[in-house]
Amino acid sequence: MLLEVRDLHVEFHTREGVAKAVNGVDYSVDAGETLAVLGESGSGKSVTAQAVMGILDIPPGRISGGEILFQGQDLLKLKEEERRKVRGAKMAMIFQDALSSLNPVISVGDQLGEMFRVHRGMSRKDSRAKAVELMDRVRIPAAKERVGQYPHQFSGGMRQRIMIAMALALEPELIIADEPTTALDVTVQAQVMELLAELQRELNMGLILITHDLGVVADVADKIAVMYAGKIVEQAPVHEIYKAPAHPYTRGLLDSIPRLDQKGQELYAIKGLPPNLLAIPPGCSFNPRCPLARDRCRTDVPPLYDVTESPVPRASACHFWKECLHG
Amino acid sequence: MPEPLEPLESYDEGRAIASTGAGGASDLGTAEAETLEKTPGGPEGTGAGKKPRSLWSDAWHDLRRNPVFIISALVILFLVVISIWPSLIASGDPLDCDLAKAQEGSQPGHPFGFNGQGCDVYTRVVYGARTSVTVGVCATLGVAILGGVLGGLAGFYGGTWDGILSRITDVFFAIPVVLGGLVLLSVVTSSTVWPVIGFMVLLGWPQISRIARGSVITAKQNDYVQAARALGASNSRMMLRHITPNAVAPVIVVATIALGTYIALEATLSYLGVGLKPPTVSWGIDISSASQYIRNAPHMLLWPAGALAVTVLAFIMLGDAVRDALDPKLR
Repeated sequence: MLLEVRDLHVEFHTREGVAKAVNGVDYSVDAGETLAVLGESGSGKSVTAQAVMGILDIPPGRISGGEILFQGQDLLKLKEEERRKVRGAKMAMIFQDALSSLNPVISVGDQLGEMFRVHRGMSRKDSRAKAVELMDRVRIPAAKERVGQYPHQFSGGMRQRIMIAMALALEPELIIADEPTTALDVTVQAQVMELLAELQRELNMGLILITHDLGVVADVADKIAVMYAGKIVEQAPVHEIYKAPAHPYTRGLLDSIPRLDQKGQELYAIKGLPPNLLAIPPGCSFNPRCPLARDRCRTDVPPLYDVTESPVPRASACHFWKECLHG
Repeated sequence: MPEPLEPLESYDEGRAIASTGAGGASDLGTAEAETLEKTPGGPEGTGAGKKPRSLWSDAWHDLRRNPVFIISALVILFLVVISIWPSLIASGDPLDCDLAKAQEGSQPGHPFGFNGQGCDVYTRVVYGARTSVTVGVCATLGVAILGGVLGGLAGFYGGTWDGILSRITDVFFAIPVVLGGLVLLSVVTSSTVWPVIGFMVLLGWPQISRIARGSVITAKQNDYVQAARALGASNSRMMLRHITPNAVAPVIVVATIALGTYIALEATLSYLGVGLKPPTVSWGIDISSASQYIRNAPHMLLWPAGALAVTVLAFIMLGDAVRDALDPKLR
């Protein structure tokens, strides 16, 4: 297994109290595999990714438990200096907003080349040649001429390509893409996702795709982890989850997608708001918003039940998963 | 946007809207841009074909075309040259005075007339530049380095050190500059410029420190600093390469403007009798001694005061031009 996150806990110490952002997350990605992490804002999907990358702001953040095994080695036990060498070279991250993720005062060629200078100690000239190569690879036209331009001289889609090129520069084994297409036009979204998927296949990388867009997930992901209030509530292969979700929250998410055959009808929305992380409800954290909620849900925290029905394993953290899956 | 990029482009509706927004607001026209960009040197290919340039050479490229910069730089260059070699344009000695000629006006060989002591005003204005430029440049360098480094580190690391430093700057801010000068400099007997410069650095660094701290905190929160971290950059690399260039512009602007005010402050302190002391030649000293004769002999006041005003203005204009050139988003 390339990456295994085991029982990860992250909390933030704020003036109002301790916000429990991640409460025991387990997931794993293999080489060449794509895991989509799905959830609303505040569900802990980005915080988990930051913990994996080691770019959490500490303090106020704190990793209060768990392990992050990367190629069998617990990253949380590494010293910062060793950790830094893993970042960029073995695992890299693609951010949501490419404009703000690129340094406005450094030309894109220098920023791409920096990867080679920091990790490989290359000369300025060699790293520039590498930068042009990378820009060609992510299909930026006229790479040679544009290598000296600044981020604001590129369009949104092109900037995201540059971010992807930067992440891929050292051919890492794992890529974490945090909502890579959210800031883009729909037409460009598909191109960028396609490019990412293609490069992933080519380099046989593990990919963690963080998103709240179910449409993006369906095409590229192998498996899905749905997060709610810092926990994984459902984990399943992508096609099964679309066919029959095993958690009422996943069902709610799928039902909130507008569909053509529903024209003129009211669009479903999950009632209520995501929980306040300072005071997560007892029992199942989804219970105040759940249509299936009963007394047991308000007291017992549901474990991640094994709900496998086909050869591929899947899991759901709902006491009444059978009802949800078959009802 | 200072200059339209290409005439064709500004007729395109989507892009015309985009170009009115802040830098790089091209998202509006992304769909068209994506397709158009397939042709090399497309709509955004303003730099295509040219040699890639660094931030600094780009800034220089802009500055050379900015008349404000050219004028202020020429004035400053002139000031620097005459403060190093005053004898180039003034043959006399500023301390060679003839009381018989006191307060006399302009006459051949002495275009600015004579001051209350009978010294040649022109020669004294020329020699005074050296003092002003030395005080201004040294005080600004001292303030910018001390304040910039302390403020920058406090902003980057935050926490306890930031708290301590911020309280210290508060204390220094509470000291009124002129009153502080009267108290601290009145005990100094040296007639060199160094005590005055030291005093300015002592009271001036908190201003720069606060600005540096603020702009480092702002720059630190930028996604690209996080991104650099996620791609394996070290603390020092993030600080020097990603934060400093993005945080340095306000410091440069404030420092350049402060340079003008330090020159004015030197004049103020000298005017009050606690700054520089004769026999040092300084515009402040001359303005001070001339001020009582403003009605009978205004030329004694106007020439050094004019030189002071032009110098201060030149530095402030230079600061402005440099700021504009260093911000690629304004390009």
